[in-house]
Amino acid sequence: MRRVALVASLLALFALAWAWVASLDSVDDLLVASPDETWKALNDDWSLLIDNAWTTLHEVLLGLATSIALGVVFALAMHLSRTLREAAYPLLVASQAVPIVVLAPIFVLAFDYGIGPKIAIVTLICFFPITVNVLDGLRSVDPGQLTLMRAFGASRIRTLRSVELPAALPSFFSGLRIAATVSVIGAVFGEWAGADEGLGRLVLLGNDQLQTPRVYAGIVLLTLMAVALFALASLAERLICPWTREERTA
Amino acid sequence: MQVQAEAAQHGPSSIRGTLVALKGVGRTFRSGKAEVRALDDLELEVAPGEALGVVGVSGCGKSTLLELIGGLQEPDAGTVAIGGETAAAARRGACSYMPQRDMLLPWRDALDNAGLALEAQGLGRREARRRAEPLFERFGLEEFKRARPGTLSGGMRQRVAFMRTLLPGRPLLALDEPFAALDAITRSSMQQWLADALVSEPRTVVLVTHDVEEALFLCDRVVVMSSRPGHVVASFTVPLERPRDRTAAVTDPRLASLREQALEALR
Amino acid sequence: MTATPLVDAARTRRRAPFALLLLCALAVAVAVALAGCGEKRDKLGPGATRELELMLDYFPNADHAGIYAAQAGGEFRRAGLDVQIRQPPSPAAPINQVAAGRVDLAISYEPEVLRARDKGLNVVAVAAIVRRPLTSIISLPKAGIRSPKDLEGKTVGTAGIDYQTSYLRTILEEADVDPASVKQRDVGFSLVPALLSRRVDAVLGGFWNYEGTELAQKRRDPRIIRVDDAGVPRYDELVLVANEDALERDDSELRAFIGALARGTRALEKDPDEAIKGLLEANRDLDPKLQRAVVKKTLPLFLPVDGRPFGYLDGAAWHRFAAWMRDHRLVSEIPDASGAFTNRLLPGESL
Repeated sequence: MRRVALVASLLALFALAWAWVASLDSVDDLLVASPDETWKALNDDWSLLIDNAWTTLHEVLLGLATSIALGVVFALAMHLSRTLREAAYPLLVASQAVPIVVLAPIFVLAFDYGIGPKIAIVTLICFFPITVNVLDGLRSVDPGQLTLMRAFGASRIRTLRSVELPAALPSFFSGLRIAATVSVIGAVFGEWAGADEGLGRLVLLGNDQLQTPRVYAGIVLLTLMAVALFALASLAERLICPWTREERTA
Repeated sequence: MQVQAEAAQHGPSSIRGTLVALKGVGRTFRSGKAEVRALDDLELEVAPGEALGVVGVSGCGKSTLLELIGGLQEPDAGTVAIGGETAAAARRGACSYMPQRDMLLPWRDALDNAGLALEAQGLGRREARRRAEPLFERFGLEEFKRARPGTLSGGMRQRVAFMRTLLPGRPLLALDEPFAALDAITRSSMQQWLADALVSEPRTVVLVTHDVEEALFLCDRVVVMSSRPGHVVASFTVPLERPRDRTAAVTDPRLASLREQALEALR
Repeated sequence: MTATPLVDAARTRRRAPFALLLLCALAVAVAVALAGCGEKRDKLGPGATRELELMLDYFPNADHAGIYAAQAGGEFRRAGLDVQIRQPPSPAAPINQVAAGRVDLAISYEPEVLRARDKGLNVVAVAAIVRRPLTSIISLPKAGIRSPKDLEGKTVGTAGIDYQTSYLRTILEEADVDPASVKQRDVGFSLVPALLSRRVDAVLGGFWNYEGTELAQKRRDPRIIRVDDAGVPRYDELVLVANEDALERDDSELRAFIGALARGTRALEKDPDEAIKGLLEANRDLDPKLQRAVVKKTLPLFLPVDGRPFGYLDGAAWHRFAAWMRDHRLVSEIPDASGAFTNRLLPGESL
C-alpha cells in the first residue's frame, strides 16, 4: 500500500510539473500538450489508439518470444563451447552498437513488409540482455554443485537440466525485465520504417499533422505498455523463482 | 617413534577383506611455477562396514584424499581402489560423496533434493521422491518434506544432504567435514543423529574432519594425517561399542586418552 | 503475414533438453518464415492481373490522394493491375529500390532523380505527380519575414539536405542578401517544432501545401515564400520514377498504371470529398480535415496544364533545373537532364 501511495504521489507531482510546462506562454501549444488535452485525446481517439496499440503489442510479444528463444539458445551454446563463446561474444556486442535507425530499413528490405521486420528489430534489441544474463547465470553456478553431480555420475545433459538451467533462471528474468522494457522502443522503430498500423506509426503521423495531444496519448500508451511488460516479467519471476525470496522458518 | 610403532601395530584389518585401498598415493598440484605436494606416499585401507575417521590440520590434504577415494581426482603416484577397481568411474559409482557445504539446490524441495543423486543416475523424479519418503519418515523429518532449503536451518540442510548421500545405496560413504559449518550445539546433536543413522543404515564410511572428538565418537578407527605433504602418521582403534551415546562418550575415559594421543600425533 | 506464438519459456526448467530442441527448431523456423515471407512471384500469363509494387516517398498523405483514389475507385484493377502501395523504409529507399529493380515504381523528387542519374543509377521520371515545387520558406508572423529580403540577419532551420541549402543560397543571391548574415541550423526533420519553439526564425524544407496548411488550420498564420517564387528554377516536386531497363519490358503495364492514375486523379478533381475517401480509409490515422484542405490546394498541380497530357514533364524546365544543379555542384557527371525523364508513357502519347 505504501508503495502504491508513493508511486501515485510521484506521478501526481510529475503531472503537475507537466501541466505547468504546458501552460507556459513561451511554450507553443502545438509543441507540448497538457495533461488534460492528452486525457481528452485518449478518450476521443480511444478506438483508434487501442487498435493501433494492439498491433504494436502483437509485434512486441512476438519479438520478445523470439528473443527469448534466441537468447537462451545463444547463451546455452556459448556456455557449452568456449571457442564459440570467445568468437561470438564480441560479435554479439557489436550487434548492439549498430544504430537501429540504420538497421530498421535494412530489415524491412530483407524481410519484406508486414510484421517480419518489426519482430526482427525487437528481437535484435531484446535478445542481447537475455543472452548476457542467461550466460552469466549459467557460468556462475556453484562449482561444488557441478562436482557433486559429477560424483553422482550425472551426464552433461542431466547436469544442465537439473542444476545449470534452473540456477540460471533468476538471471534469465533479470535479462527479461530489461528486454521487456526496451522491446516497445524496438517495435516503434520498426514501424517508423514502414507500417500500415501501430502506435509508432500513429505517433509519427500525428507529429507530422501537428496532432500533439494524440501524439502524447500514443506515448502514454506506449509507456504503459512497457511498464506493464516489465511488471509481467517481474511477476513471472516471483511465481517461477520463489526460492530467491525465501527466509528461514525451520 | 612411539606413534610410528603404534601405526604398525594397528595395521589394516584383513579379517573381512578390504573395500578401499590406497597404496603409495601421491598428489601434486601445479599452479604456474609453484608446485604443491598435497599427498605423498599415503597408505590407507578401509574394511567393509568400517567407519574410518581421518583427522588432520587444515590444508593437510584431507579433502583431496576424499576426492581421490571418491573418483573425483586421480593420483599422480600410487593407486586408489574401491573393491579392487581402480577406474575413476568405478570409484565414483561405488562411493557416495557428501561435500563440505550441503550443496542443496534452492529451487527443489527437501524430497527432491534428497533424490538428486537418484535422478542424476537417470531415475525419474517421481520414483526418486517415492524412494526418499521412507527415509524422511525414518529420520522423523516428514514435516519438512516439501520445504525448500532456503527455509531450513543449517542442521536440517545437512540432514537432507545426508539423506541424499544415503539414497543411492552405494557401499561407501565419503563425508567431507559434514558439520564444520554448524554451531557447536547443532554440531553435537547432528553427531548423535549421524551415529544413530549409521546404526539403522550401516555402510562403509570415510569421514574427514578436523574435530578429533567427532571422529572418535562416530568412527571405528581414526587415522591422523600429517601436514603437507600429507600421509598417515597414526592410527587408533576406537573400542566403544555401538550404539553410542554422545553424552556418555564425552566423559568416557578411554576416549579421553585416545584424544590425547591423537592430538599428540597431530603436532 | 502472421506468425504463430512461441512456447512459454517458463517450462524450460523441467524439460530442458526437449525445450532446447524445440527452441532451436523454433528459432530456425522463425528465421525461415521471416526471410521467406513475402517473396512475391509475378503472376504471368496473358490476361492475368499483373502485380505492381509502388513505393511512396513517405508515409501516405494528401499528395498521394490521386493514387489512393485510383486504388479505391478500382482503376488499377480495371487496368489489369494489382498495385501494392509500399511505404519507404528510409528516405533513400524509393530511388534505390527502383534502380535495383526490387520495386516497379517509386515516388521521388526531381532533384533526387537527377542526382541518382549523376551517380549512374538508371532511373527515369515517367510522370509528374506534383508539377511544381512545394518546398518553401515558412515563418511565423513574429519573425517579420514577408519577403526574402527580410531574411537578413535571421536564423533559418533546414533539414540538412544539400540541394535545399542551395535553394537558400540562390534565394539570398536573388534578393541581394549577404549569405553570411543568415544563420543556418540543421534541425533534422522536425522543421515545424523548431519553428514553433522559436529556436529559428524560419524553416526551409516544409511544403506550402502541407505544413503551410496545417499551420494555417492551427491558426498560426504562417508566412510562406515558395522557392520557385524566390529565384529557384521550377522543378517537379513529386515524380513517378521507373527503372530505365523496365521501360521497354514493362511498357504496357507502366502505361496502364499511369492511365489509371490519371483517371483516379480526374475523379479527385470531379468530387474531391468522395475520391479522398480512398486515402482516408486506407489510413485511419490521417486527419480528414487537414488532408482535404491539402488536396484542394494541391489539386491544380496534380493535373497538367491545358493542352498537356496527364503527368507531363516539362523538358525545358528539367534542363534548366539540371543546369542550376550543375552550377551549384550538386551534379557533376551529367551534362543536362537528357534521359532523366520521358513523356512517352503518358496517356495520349504515341509510342
